[in-house]
Amino acid sequence: MAQAQVPVTVLTGYLGAGKTTLLNRILSEQHGKKYAVIVNEFGELGVDNDLVVNADEEVFEMNNGCICCTVRGDLIRIIEGLMKRKDKFDGILVETTGLADPGPVAQTFFTDDDVKARTRLDAIVTVVDAKHFLGQLEQGNEAEEQVAFADVILLNKTDLVSADELAKVEGRIKAINPYARVHKTEKSRVELEAILDKGAFDLKRILEFEPDFLEHGHDHDHEEEVKSLSFTADRPVDPDKFQKWMGALLQIKGPDIFRSKGILAIDGAPRRYVFQGVHMMMDADWGQPWKAGETRASKLVFIGRNLDGENLKRGFQDCLKQA
Amino acid sequence: MKLDLANPAWRTTLPPSRTVATDAPVSACAFSRDGAAVAFALGDGQVRVLPADTEAPESAAAAPLHQGAVLALAADPAGDGFVSGGDDGRLLRLGRDGTAGELANQKGKWIEHIAVHKATGAVAAVAGRMALVVKDGELNEFGPHQSTVADVDFSKDGSRIACAHYGGVTVWSIGNVALPPRRFAWAGSHVALKWSTDGKFIATGTQENDIHVWRIAQSTDMRMQGYPAKVKSLAWSADARWLFTSAQPVFTAWPFAGKGPEGKPPVQFGEEGAGLITVVAAHPSAEFVAGGYDSGELQLGDIKTRRSVVLKMADDSAITCLAWSPGGFHLAAGNERGDLLVVDLRR
Repeated sequence: MAQAQVPVTVLTGYLGAGKTTLLNRILSEQHGKKYAVIVNEFGELGVDNDLVVNADEEVFEMNNGCICCTVRGDLIRIIEGLMKRKDKFDGILVETTGLADPGPVAQTFFTDDDVKARTRLDAIVTVVDAKHFLGQLEQGNEAEEQVAFADVILLNKTDLVSADELAKVEGRIKAINPYARVHKTEKSRVELEAILDKGAFDLKRILEFEPDFLEHGHDHDHEEEVKSLSFTADRPVDPDKFQKWMGALLQIKGPDIFRSKGILAIDGAPRRYVFQGVHMMMDADWGQPWKAGETRASKLVFIGRNLDGENLKRGFQDCLKQA
Repeated sequence: MKLDLANPAWRTTLPPSRTVATDAPVSACAFSRDGAAVAFALGDGQVRVLPADTEAPESAAAAPLHQGAVLALAADPAGDGFVSGGDDGRLLRLGRDGTAGELANQKGKWIEHIAVHKATGAVAAVAGRMALVVKDGELNEFGPHQSTVADVDFSKDGSRIACAHYGGVTVWSIGNVALPPRRFAWAGSHVALKWSTDGKFIATGTQENDIHVWRIAQSTDMRMQGYPAKVKSLAWSADARWLFTSAQPVFTAWPFAGKGPEGKPPVQFGEEGAGLITVVAAHPSAEFVAGGYDSGELQLGDIKTRRSVVLKMADDSAITCLAWSPGGFHLAAGNERGDLLVVDLRR
């Protein structure tokens, strides 16, 4: 009896950004849906939900010789345990602590067969505190990385900053990750459609990676900063060359690449070849078919630290079919 | 009366059995100490008890005992009932008359695994990073371990428990909480644990689709690789000569007689084609092993003759638990869909 995979939404963001407010919103809305919630702190949730599970954020390193391949063992256990319950649910929400690295959570959905069989990672939602974000960037890498990983960003507490401050925060977010959809919110008020069932990792649904806003020149561009790079190609991609190059790249640069995404026009293939990666983990599959007359362009996106744009560009160029 | 898989009846007909359908996934099953009753832990909080005799009238469902799912179940080693653990954090002792007494309450934690020791009447359970041991009415806690305890088992004589967690296994002497534990290290996440029936080995299944075995006396260890999935179920034969494992399409037994399995392949036998084995259970006294598949098929194997027979056909609902009666002539199984099965093997 094959069960449909339960969608999982990961909520990240600094302490005080508004994650719990958002969770309470999701749980108290009359949508007739049932969500299991995995939190780190009991008692923070005001909503009475009998499917709230306490997690300890137990991260461990896989024994595959890759230092960036870490997973959340407690998540594997909890998801397995939730599936033993009689009552089924429409979705699972995973809240992470303010300083948590989203990497291990996301990688759990790429590595564990049982988790993959029963659930699917739907989207990583990051709540950003408009007032404190710039200060948090100075304190360490977490705030930056949480934005880098995001598919959806709630730019929250917009009521506490001026228009100028808000524009500055937005500029920084965009410089890190222009591909996340940004919603400006007060008190985490947002339509649930904006954060749930996004299919951000659903290779069958992805048609295009659109930046949320048009990029403009970066005002400061430091190598060590987290940024996103995208590459396009009009010539078809040679699948063998691409596999080799991408495999080697993720092996070597995996720790610095938070998210990688691609839609490729493979030579002679009627469907898009779509992939999504987190660090060195990658899922790839044939996606939507190309329509008749549609321009078969390929696009690659990397979001990470210490990215060498020239080198990546050359590497991708070398994977294209020679004209 | 004996179990003989050469009996042609095994080839032509399925053995007599009883199936009771429920609507909650089954997480565990166990026969009572006297062998007369068999209990199933369900995902709706119920522990459903049936007579071991498949001809006897069926007992009715009772009210749920746990809030949420029952995650662990074992025969009460100090009575004729059962002990159960749930995701409500309670460890219960259940009488055959339907009464329930609380042995421990760890709200906010899940009691996912229980081990029992018949001779001493001790019950061990996991609760977050701690292991709990109830013995002679006294509750002791062992830990905290470096991560959530994923499984627990008693030593042969019941004087110690072994806990699986990240980075290896920790062994505690339960008679003396102050005694420092002994650690057996191996990187990674250990998800299942069984102490050998002769007390000499501890085996674990890991997140990396392999198994790890420690020789306790020498503190040496070995690793068996090549599984296509996580080995979540391990079982030592009654004489400790074989370690049976799940996560293969056929019965898989590592030879521990003599010098042990180093440098030897495992013995593999049985009917292929039913999927992957999800649960194995070793016969309490003879060299038989029962295996449940992710397809729902159930097989019985004889390691001596390498014969195997089908006890139940595939039905697309994965077997989640198996248990032998103490006498070894009844087998219980549960699946994800909620079917409770009791098979009578007397032919």
